[in-house]
Amino acid sequence: MAKKTFTGRVILSGEITGKATVSKQPFNTSGSYVENMFGGRTDAAPCTDAANKELFGKDLAGAILCTPTTVGSTMGGMALMGMKSIGVGPEALLFSKPIDTLAAAGVLMAEIWKEQRIVTIDMLGDEFLETVKMGDPISIKEDGTVQVG
Amino acid sequence: MNRRELLKSLPAGALVPTAISATVMPSAATEKQAPGAGSGRAQTSGTNPGVYKVSNKTFDNPGAYDGIHCDQFGIGTDGKPIADNLTGTGSDAAPKGQSHKMTLTQEEQDILSGSQGEVMAKVLKTIVMHGELFGAERLADCGGAPHSSLYTGSPWVVPVLEMFEEIADAGLKAHAPYTVNPMPLDLYSVGQDPAKRNMMLEGYPLQGRLIQLHTRLGARPLDVWSCACYLPEVGNTAEPGTVVSWAESSAVNYGNSVLGLRINRMATGMELLCAVAGKVPVFGMLTDEGRKAKWHIDVKLSKEPHWGALGGAIGTKVVEQVPYITGIDQWIGMQDGKPDLVAMGKLKAMGSSTASSGAVGLYHVENVTPEAQVQARALLAEGHQTYVIDDAEMERVLGTFENRWKDPNGDPTAVYIGCPHNTYDEILYWAKRLNSALRLKGQKQVAIPVIMACPIVVRNRLLDEYPLLLRDILRAGVKFTTICTPGYQGLKGMADIDRGVTNSNKARHYSGLRLFGDDDLIQIALTGKLPA
Repeated sequence: MAKKTFTGRVILSGEITGKATVSKQPFNTSGSYVENMFGGRTDAAPCTDAANKELFGKDLAGAILCTPTTVGSTMGGMALMGMKSIGVGPEALLFSKPIDTLAAAGVLMAEIWKEQRIVTIDMLGDEFLETVKMGDPISIKEDGTVQVG
Repeated sequence: MNRRELLKSLPAGALVPTAISATVMPSAATEKQAPGAGSGRAQTSGTNPGVYKVSNKTFDNPGAYDGIHCDQFGIGTDGKPIADNLTGTGSDAAPKGQSHKMTLTQEEQDILSGSQGEVMAKVLKTIVMHGELFGAERLADCGGAPHSSLYTGSPWVVPVLEMFEEIADAGLKAHAPYTVNPMPLDLYSVGQDPAKRNMMLEGYPLQGRLIQLHTRLGARPLDVWSCACYLPEVGNTAEPGTVVSWAESSAVNYGNSVLGLRINRMATGMELLCAVAGKVPVFGMLTDEGRKAKWHIDVKLSKEPHWGALGGAIGTKVVEQVPYITGIDQWIGMQDGKPDLVAMGKLKAMGSSTASSGAVGLYHVENVTPEAQVQARALLAEGHQTYVIDDAEMERVLGTFENRWKDPNGDPTAVYIGCPHNTYDEILYWAKRLNSALRLKGQKQVAIPVIMACPIVVRNRLLDEYPLLLRDILRAGVKFTTICTPGYQGLKGMADIDRGVTNSNKARHYSGLRLFGDDDLIQIALTGKLPA
C-alpha cells in the first residue's frame, strides 16, 4: 500500500512503530477493559465491548489505537492509567478528532504521576481514520507526524 | 401548614413520587394490591449461588458493563461513526490551536514553580495541561465543596490510589470537607447474604484503603456519602453560579441543571486533583456559551411520564449536548421559585438517565430550572435541533429496554429502589405504599427483598419522623442500604444469582436490572412474581 502521512496535535510525544488497532467508532474505554478491571486479568486485554464489532475479543495490550475519540463511563480516564500500570494499556492513542476529557485525564495522570507515557496525538483528521486499516504499519514521529503504510 | 405537616396529613397514595404510577414494562397487571395473592416469603426459585472466586480468569460475565449502549457507541448506515465529536465535557468544548496556553495568575505560576511544594506543583500542572487541551483561558477558584466519584476499591485502581496517597503524604487536603459517592458494598444489609458478602469483599478488596485515603484528604463522614450529594440531609450544595469540583455524572447533571452550579463533567480523579488545588480550568459548562442548548426537547405526552424513561429518550438522542426541555413543567411542583422536594426526585430520575443513556451534563427545563426561569428560550443556540417526544415515541423508546436477565423467564429475586440515592420524600413514599399494600393483603413480609438505597442521614430522618413506619417496613423485609446499585450489580457473578427489578433507568442502563413502574414494583415485592 502507498504510504500516507498525517499530522496532528501532539499531546504526549514519542517515536513508535507498530501495527494499527482501529476502531472507527468512538472507543469505549471502561467498556473495553472489563475483564481487566473486574476480572483481575493482567496477561492480556481482550476487548470486552460487544458493541464494538471491530475490536470485540481482540487483544488491546500494547495497542496503537486509532479511533475518533473515547466515550463511556467517567471511570475511563483512570481505567487508561490503571491498564497502563498493569501492563496492558495502549502504547499510543491516535485520535482523528480532538481528545475528550476522559482520555486526556487518563494519559496526563499516567504521565505526570506514574511516569508512564502513552504517546497521544489528536486532531489527525477524518482522512486518517478513513485511511488506516486494522494491522496497517504505523510509524509515529516526535513532531506528531503519523505515517500509515 | 408547613410541608412536613402536609406530608404527614396525606394518605400515602396522595404523595406524588418519582415515576408516579408509571407502567413501564408492558404489563396488564396495574391493579394495586389484589387480595389473596399469597403470603409469606417466596422461594427465589431458579437461583444458583454458584461459586465465586476472584482468581477465576475466565471472562464469562461482564456484569454491569454488559449491554451499555447509546447512539454515541455506534456506526451509522453510511459506515461513519456517530457522534464522534464528543469531548466528554457535555458542551462540545473545543481546542483553540496547537499551542494554546491559559493565562495564569502570579500565584498560580508560583505554585507551578514549587512555591507550595513539588507535589502541589504536579497537581496544578495536571490541571493546567488538562484545561489547555480544551481551550481554557484561565483557572477559576472553587467554591462550595467538592464531590468525588472515586469510590471503588478495585485492584486496578491502585495507581490512582498511589497518586492521591502521594498527595496526602505531602500533607495536602481538599479545599473544603467533601462528599464521596456511596460505596459499592454494604456488609450490614445486602451483605447479610454470604455469597454476596464474599463477592463484595473479593470485588473491592481495597475499599478500606480507599476510605482511609479519603479520610486523609478531608472527606466528610460516611453517613453522608451519597451520589446525591445535594440532598438537603447531606447538604453539599451552593448558590447558583458557584464553580465547584464535582464528579459523578448524575450529581454533575443535577448540580448544573437544577442548582445552577457551574461544573464540568470530569474523569474520576480530575475532580479530586481540582479539589486539592481549589481550582478548575474554565471551559465547557463553566462558560455561558457552553451552557447554550443545542436541542429543543418538545415533550407532548398525554400523561406524566416515567421520568427515568424520559431521560433515557433524551440522553440517547442528544448524547452530550445540552437540551432545553419544554412541556414537562406541568408536572413539576415549585416552592419559593425552586423545584420542591418531590420534584427533586423527578428531576433526579430524569437527569441521571440523560447522563447514563447519553453523557448529558446540563439540561434546562422551561419555567423550572434557574437559568431557564431567567433566560427562557434565549438559551436555545442558533441552529438548534428539535426532538419531539410524544406518546408514540415514548412507547418506541420503552420497547428498546430489553430483558438482559441470564434466565429471562425466571422469577425476580429482589427489588432495587433508588439510583441515584433516594430522597427523603421517596423513601417515605415507598415505605407508605409498601406498608399499605402489605396490610391490605394481610401479609407480614415482602416476598423478595426490597433494597432501598439512600445515605444513612436520610434513613435516619425517617427514623426521626416516622419511627413506627420504619420499624414496620424493616420487619416486613425492606433493607435500607447505602450501596451504589450499579457498582453492586456490577460485581462478577452477580448476574448469575440475581434477577433484579428497579424503578431506576440509570440502574437498568448500567446493569441487568429490569425497569418497572411503581405499581408493578409493589406487586412484584409482595408476590415475588412478575406481573402477568
